[in-house]
Order: sequence, then structure tokens, then C-alpha cells
Amino acid sequence: MAGMTESVQSRAQLAAIAQVRWNIFTHSLRTKRGALELFSRIVIGLVITCGGLGGAILLGMGAWYFLSEGKPEALALVLWPVFFFWQFFPVMASALTETMDSSHLLRFPLNYRAYVTVRLVYGALDPATLLGGLWLTGIMLGIGWARPSLLLWAAVVLGAFAGVNMLLTQMVFAWVERWLAQRRTREIFAVLFFLALISMQLVGPMLSRYGERSGAAFRRAGQVANPVQAVLPPGIATSALASAANKRYVAAAGFLGGLVLYAVVILRILSVRLSAQYRGENLSEVRDQSARRQGRFGVRPGWNVPALSGEVTAVVEKEFRYLARSGPMLLTFVTPIVMLFVFGLGGRSGAGAGFLQHWPQLALPVGAGYALLLLTNLVYNNLGADGGGIQFFLASPASFRSVIIGKNLAHMAVLALEVVVLWIGVSFVYRPPMFTTVLTTLAGLLFAAPVSLAAGNLLSLYSPKKTEFGTFGRQRASQITVLASFVIQALVFGVAGMSIFAARHYGPWLAIVVLLGLAGLAFGGYIFVLGKVDRLALARREVLAAELCK
Amino acid sequence: MTAPAIATEKLTRRFGDLTAVQDVNLRVAPGQFFGFLGPNGAGKSTTIKMLTGLLAPTSGRIEILGLDFAREMVRVKRQIGVVPEGLALFGRLTGAEYLTFVGRMYGIDRETTAKRTGELLEFMQLANEPRKLVTDYSHGMQKKLALAAAVIHGPKILFLDEPFEGVDAIAAGTLKAMLQRMIARGATIFLTSHVLEIVERLCSHVAIIHRGQLVAQGSLEELRAGVEAQAASANAGSNTQGRLTLEEIFLYTVGGTRPAEQELSWLG
Repeated sequence: MAGMTESVQSRAQLAAIAQVRWNIFTHSLRTKRGALELFSRIVIGLVITCGGLGGAILLGMGAWYFLSEGKPEALALVLWPVFFFWQFFPVMASALTETMDSSHLLRFPLNYRAYVTVRLVYGALDPATLLGGLWLTGIMLGIGWARPSLLLWAAVVLGAFAGVNMLLTQMVFAWVERWLAQRRTREIFAVLFFLALISMQLVGPMLSRYGERSGAAFRRAGQVANPVQAVLPPGIATSALASAANKRYVAAAGFLGGLVLYAVVILRILSVRLSAQYRGENLSEVRDQSARRQGRFGVRPGWNVPALSGEVTAVVEKEFRYLARSGPMLLTFVTPIVMLFVFGLGGRSGAGAGFLQHWPQLALPVGAGYALLLLTNLVYNNLGADGGGIQFFLASPASFRSVIIGKNLAHMAVLALEVVVLWIGVSFVYRPPMFTTVLTTLAGLLFAAPVSLAAGNLLSLYSPKKTEFGTFGRQRASQITVLASFVIQALVFGVAGMSIFAARHYGPWLAIVVLLGLAGLAFGGYIFVLGKVDRLALARREVLAAELCK
Repeated sequence: MTAPAIATEKLTRRFGDLTAVQDVNLRVAPGQFFGFLGPNGAGKSTTIKMLTGLLAPTSGRIEILGLDFAREMVRVKRQIGVVPEGLALFGRLTGAEYLTFVGRMYGIDRETTAKRTGELLEFMQLANEPRKLVTDYSHGMQKKLALAAAVIHGPKILFLDEPFEGVDAIAAGTLKAMLQRMIARGATIFLTSHVLEIVERLCSHVAIIHRGQLVAQGSLEELRAGVEAQAASANAGSNTQGRLTLEEIFLYTVGGTRPAEQELSWLG
């Protein structure tokens, strides 16, 4: 009886939470900005859905082909990409991913089960789930088209696979967030990353040496990897489908059970984090051993950067300290290097080669472009992490222009560092980029960066959104900003891409000259915007304070 | 004649149809410890935000230390310190890093900033956990840090919005010691607070705002005398008993009463 009452109460609480979210949503539409947010959300949703539909059709055709050709085991080839995408997309595109801040729910008498339900439901409302779901639906329809009798089974298996993916993403995020919240683990992470980077030195020579034999080597590696992949979720889902296709129903049910077991185990591991959060855990540096050391201290003077004013230097220092203490940001910054490495896997030529192995000269510009893209969260919402600190900027005698310059300099320093590391990585994994490629990349960045900064500065003032540097999934800029940044970056990368394409026909120097010309214009635009920043900040101080002090 | 530290003229702020502050004429002399009181929603925070540049007035004029705020915003900001409602802290810095940052933003050189930071952290008893991030500070520690940040540049006027809210007796003692030290050295302090006992103990002058309008302003003695005179004329023949407390003056001025005993049977 008591259990029933509790379950009724939980349902009422969940309904109340859904109701309050709905109320917040409808109230947000009262303002012009709220309506714009909704519009942007719809546009982004449509774009993602269109992209998802394309992927769903391709993957569905793949599934149809494998089933029609009597090779159901090959379904792994369509399930693994979905799995990888589902797990990596949230890190690669954190501008689109957001988790609900559930800490405020803790004050209510919400039982643990209801708390977990809320966390899981809101955690699943992200583009990775939307796209992954669409793609799995495409695969399911492809299977059903090839073998109508398998449709229902495919729905069950792929549904379980989707569940595993959703839980695994949240589990990984929750644990990585926990580890990277501490200074010590961040340092270990940084050391491991640089060790990995140094180990890249070995990849280039090895690929050169074994390049000719790499195809066979990769086939052998595939044979070794196959049993491993077979026991991982995409492999088990494949086995469940393949067994049913081969009329081995007991085995199929067993594999489905394996998938469910994965879900249960992952949920159990996730539950360790969720229960800590439920008990009111507050991730912070204070857990760090080094933080426990107390005693006297000496205050070190702030940084001194020649040629920069004290105010600008102070902002640069503050930005770097924030970035250095942000696990999610650290992960975001290493992503271009990791992706460079992933795309460089495979032999130097042939079918097994990564796509950048086919066009190694594109590795640096592509990596640099991706690095700039990943800075979207920072550049296009550059006041978001300051939160209530915005009041300090508004009340202090320092000009807002100094604040913005400091932030822009810090972000560009990060980009410059990324490009240098990328250059080193490209040199080791592929080959040292040609001089003209380096110049073209730099000219492209000199064009793209001021455009992004100018647009980012305006959007940061017009459409700010409070973000949390220390927490995964709470770094999403407003939807207006995301949409606008997509459009701007599509234009910038389109122009840069066209210049590089034209240079293939008319010589490499053409792209450099064109991009440098555009860079001049872009820099002029950046300076123009910078000149307006003080006035704009003053005019929009109420919006800034209201939005960032929430 | 010395210019007032703070003077406003017909200061008004509207939010759509709502007039939050209307025609407020404030005058605060240099060196005064000035309490700005009012019931919830009366317009205290709106006024203090306008006085510190966090909010633009709809109309009216603000003069700080004889300077027109609208025209000389940066010069004014250099001479004032602010502890706003939200404290304006940067959570992912340590206390020392935050104060260093604030000092540099006010144009103080690196060495002086470092020296003052150390002294302020010691004074505020925040020096024991140098690596702790501001976000991990207790509320009282955050208030103390916000106050330290507001004074690091040695402001002539200090604006404090509810400085004692949510602060324990020990932290409140530290804050009061700091404020009294500033007053002794000639600074002006303008604070809003709901804790009338503290205002009564600290402030020499008080203004009361009610429904956006200034309803009383002056020294505590002037306000007391005014209320006693009004009460006397309202109840001809009967005198107010004893010396009025600030709470009584406040309640009389804003027309409030102590909460009536109501039946909330479900409260058990």
C-alpha cells in the first residue's frame, strides 16, 4: 500500500516537473528573445533532422543491402558508426548539447527513482539521441524492407541498442565530469594526452615503413578485432539480428539478453554517480588533496604581459585560469588532435586509408578549421561563464572594450596553440605541410578568426546565456547564437574553401592573396565592432545582468 | 561648500507599466553611514543599481562626488566600490586570484594589488584556504570576499546591497569592523538592509523608500522626532512612550503593522 502511494506520489512529482518545464517554456515565449530562441531551435532541429534523414536513408540502404545479400553479420558496419557518433558527438558539438541542472530538484522530497528518471529523460533530449534514433529507425526499416518478418525483432533489438547508447553517453559524461573536476586528474589527463601526442611520432615512420603492407596488416588487425567487437554493444546487437535472420531464435534472444545486461550494468555504474549527486554532491576542487593543504600563503602578483594594459592582462589571466580549470573545455581542445589522429588511421593509400591520408595537404587546414569551430562556445558566448561576475564588469571603471579584447586575445591564444600542436601532429602523422599550405591555413585563419570574433562579440552582448565551465552539458550557448554561428561559419568556411579550391587550378598563391585580402576586410569589421562594444554593453546592461545572474 | 557624496534629482525608473522608482531626491553627505530602507519591492535594489551604473535611469540625474554619473561614468566608478545583490564574484577563481583580478581592473599596479590582496584576505580571515575556489566558499565567506573586492582600490563611497543577509554573527562582526574603519577614515557608506537593528547601530542617517517614492530622509534623530510629532498630532494628547526604535519608525513610516495572528491550521 505504502509502495503504491509512493508510486502515485512519484508520478505526481514527475508530472509537476514536466508541467513546470512547460510553464518555463511558455513564459519564455512572452519575450521577443524567447520567441527567437524557439524559432532558432526549430530551424536547428529541422537542419539536424534533414541531416539525420540523409544518414537514415544511407544506413537503411546499407542494412537492406547486407540482409538482401545474405550477410546479416555485416550489419556491424552500420551499427558501429551509429555507436561512435552517439558517444562522440556530445563532446565534438557541445554547443548543441545540454543537460538539465537537476541540483535544484534536491530540495523536494523526490525519491531516488524519480530523480534518476528525470535525469535520464532530460539527458536523452539531445541531438545525438535524435540523430542516433533516426539512423537506427532507418536501419530498422532497411532490415524490414529486406526481411519483413524481422521488422519487429529489429525494432526490439535496436530499441535496446538505443537504450544502451543513451545510458552509456550519460554514464561516460558523468564519470569524466567527476574525474576532470579535480586538478590532479586534469593534470594526469594532460600528461597522458601529451604522451599520446609524442607517441604519434611513431605512427608516421611506421606507416611509411609498412605502408605497402598496411592493407594486409589492417585485415589481420580486423580479424583480431572481430571477436572483441562482437562482445561490445554494436557487435551484440548485430549478433542478435544476424541470429534471428539465420533462424537461431534462442541465440538471438540470448544476445538480446546480453544487450539488456549491458544496459543494466551501465545503469548501475551511472547510478553510482547519480546517487552521489542525489545525496547532494558538489563537484569541486576542494576534494583535491592539494587543496587540503592549508596554511600561510603569499599572494603572487598577477600576470604581466608587455604591450597589454593591466585591465586586458587581468582578463586574459582570468580567462586562462577558467579554461585550465574546466574539464569539458580541456576535452574540447584535445578533440581536433584526436580527430586528426583518427582520420589518419590506416595505410597511406588504398581502401584502408583514412580520408586525410588521401589528401594529406588538407590535414592542417581541416584541423585548424575544426579547432576554430570548437571554440564556438567560447567565442560566440564569451560572457556566459562569467555568470554574476558580469555585474563586476559593469560596475568597474575598466572599459567593456578592454574586457572583450582580453577575452578575444585569450581565445585566439588557445587557437594559436591548437594550430601549433596540430602542425606538429600533422607533421608526424602525415607529413610536414608544404609552406604554401601553412601560409594558406594561416591566411584562412586570419580571415575566419576576426569574422568569428566580431560576430561572437555582438552575439555575446545580444544573446548571452549563462554557462557552467565545470560541468559537461551546461555550456550550450543560446539557440539564437548557435544558429547564427552556424550560418556565419558556413559562410566563412565556404569562402575559404572556394579560395582553396580555386587555388588548385590557378596556383596556391591565389588563395593566400584572396584570403589575406578578406582578412584585411574582416579585421576592419572586427575593429569596427570593437569600437561599438562599450556603447552596446551599456545599452544592454540590464539584459546582460538579468540573463547571466540567473 | 562640499558637494554631497551622493545626490539624485527626480530619479525615476520604469519597467514597462511599472514605476519602480519615482522622483527620488537623495542627498548623502560625505562621511555619512547611510542606511537605505524599504519593504520588499519598494525600489531599494533598483535605486542602488542606478547609483552604481548597473541600471540606467528612465529619467532624473545622479551626481556622485559632484560628478554627473551619466557623463563621467568611468571617473565615478573609479571612486566607488560596490557589493551588488548577486555579489559579482567569479566562481572559478581562488579568493586571491579574484582580488588580484579586481585590483588590476581598477588600474592598481601588480605589486600593490598583491600586497592589498594579502592584507584583505588576512583581515577577512580568508587566508587559510588559499587554493579553495570562490564557488566552494560558504555564503558568509563570499560576502566577505565581495566586500574585500569592493574596497581593494580604496573607494570614497561604498555601496552595499544587503551586506548582512545570510551572514553569521562572526562574519557580520568582521564586515562591521571593516565598515566602521572606513567611516573613521572619511569614506561614505550607502547600504540597504532589512536588518533594522544593524542599520540603527551603524548608520547615522537613513532614508526610507516605499512603493518607489522616498517617504523619509534624515538623521535618525530627525526621523524619530518627525514620527513622534506626527504620532502626537494624530493621537492628540497622547505621547509616544519612550524612545522609538528604528523598527517602529520604519513601520510607522511605511504604514506597516506587525503580522496579525492568522489561522493556518494546516501548519500543525
